[in-house]
Amino acid sequence: MDFDGLSVDQAPPISAPLRFFLTAPLFAVLAGILILLSDAQTLSGRYSMDAIAITHAITIGFLSFVMLGALTQMLPVLAGVKIAKVDMVAKISHFFLLFGTLFMIFGLEYDFSKLILSASLFLGIGFLTMIVSMLIGLRNVVNATPSVKAMITSLVFAFIIVLIGIHLLSSHGSGKFSELHVLLANIHSVWAIFGFAGVLIIGVAFHILPMFYVAPRFKKFCKQKVVWLISFGLFLWLILNLFFDSYSVVAKVWVALFFWAFATTVYLKLNARRRPISDITVWYWRSAAIFMTLGAFAWAINDFYDEKYIVVVSILIGGGFIFSIMSGMLYKIVPFLVWFHLNAKGYMSIPTMNDMIDKKLAKTQFLLFIISLVGFIISFFLPYILPIFAITFIASMIILEYNIVIPVLIYAKIIKTKPDFDMSMFTMKVEK
Amino acid sequence: MSTIKEYLTADHGRCDELFANMEDAVAKSIESAKEAYEEFAKATERHFQMEERVMFFEFEQKTGNTQGPTAMMRHEHVQMRNLIAEMGKAIEAKDKDKFFGNSETLMILMQQHNMKEEQMLYTMAQQHLSAESERIVDMMQSLIVQ
Repeated sequence: MDFDGLSVDQAPPISAPLRFFLTAPLFAVLAGILILLSDAQTLSGRYSMDAIAITHAITIGFLSFVMLGALTQMLPVLAGVKIAKVDMVAKISHFFLLFGTLFMIFGLEYDFSKLILSASLFLGIGFLTMIVSMLIGLRNVVNATPSVKAMITSLVFAFIIVLIGIHLLSSHGSGKFSELHVLLANIHSVWAIFGFAGVLIIGVAFHILPMFYVAPRFKKFCKQKVVWLISFGLFLWLILNLFFDSYSVVAKVWVALFFWAFATTVYLKLNARRRPISDITVWYWRSAAIFMTLGAFAWAINDFYDEKYIVVVSILIGGGFIFSIMSGMLYKIVPFLVWFHLNAKGYMSIPTMNDMIDKKLAKTQFLLFIISLVGFIISFFLPYILPIFAITFIASMIILEYNIVIPVLIYAKIIKTKPDFDMSMFTMKVEK
Repeated sequence: MSTIKEYLTADHGRCDELFANMEDAVAKSIESAKEAYEEFAKATERHFQMEERVMFFEFEQKTGNTQGPTAMMRHEHVQMRNLIAEMGKAIEAKDKDKFFGNSETLMILMQQHNMKEEQMLYTMAQQHLSAESERIVDMMQSLIVQ
């Protein structure tokens, strides 16, 4: 019997997702420090070096790290496929992304062209190793559910934006910019936000919300068509941008409409959920839905103001929507992984997931994060208050890191003791 | 007559509903949640046994593979049984924190498990056992829990 590719019995080693998760908040702290040290005025434009460096500390350093880490874990569960040599792939990808992101940030900040060129190489290797490995794994999918299709779509967008990103960054490194630079930068950012992150979030939400909160299921139309319609919108936006720029707002409204609808659906589904629990993850889902709604409108309206408010739009969607969901996910997935891997190794007396996260600290972290987001938006109009919110953001991210390090320390402590049961008799294949 | 996949998938949904009822009951008052807990625990145990004693068994016979996916699913059933037992103890001890700590873990484990079954194992079972689908569903329906 050939079950190759079907991995009912394959969980990736805990280190694969954790190395990404534990790094992510540290990059957010770095982003916070850079905001604190930057001249607030230069951050109100999207093309200053400061703005590009800080944006990528967040989008690569935090968001992509969390997404890639989560994908290593979700691929076997949601799609039933394994990434070949997942441990090695994760290590290589993490190494190159870690240094690539650092090189990029400091290369841009200090205008050091060799560092920028290395960054584009490192980031290219880091991202493509992971993306290509996952796409290869996904070829073995037997049952391509809407979530799986969304994952594949998202990874294809990721592949394209990485290639564009490499080109853009090496242009900064060499100082030679093509005529298409601004256009490519636009495609890179819009497809990254809506194509890579947005589609992935929507695809995963189809599963997560009904399952983990016993919320009503998404409608068939939603599951089967929305990802396709959004992708169509993103391609239409590209074509209009290239040839009929003045009409590109049509495609923007199209894409924004679906994300707004998604955000509203999430909010309503959470209201109708059957599970009474209201934990930090639920709050993050809710805040994500609210910020996405505001962001969708702001993005569409921004066009009529000559893109003057694009930074506000980025904070609403990148920070309020994507960042919120990623943070919320960390609070669930890290304690669960710790519990799951210890249990699989035969440890029975493990703290429960709720014991691993200090609820009060989690709440404080959430509140500081929301205050920072709102503060960043206000700072766009009143730049001199920005440092206050850079500090609240740094504090929030230090607490986030602390909150997810605690379960990992619990893991490290317990794993040193002798298990309650010898599990070698089971055929469990959790790779070391 | 539903297929093996449809029948067991629908049963997952039923267990989820009972899980939500139980949590709801505990949130309102842990003193009077015992009935809801037992209803959930009973339905889940029945589901496990329908799989272990009927469907997995038939699947293993047909494919000659007892160390493959079904072994992993059986192992996860053991993990879930332990958590359900812990939740029962928490209700006896009227310890809400302990109950929700375990129920949260169970929920994620259970959903991971269900996804793997619904995406892969049931689909594989349906392919290998399609000729006997009706008989197997019938046996699962008439199963007496041990």
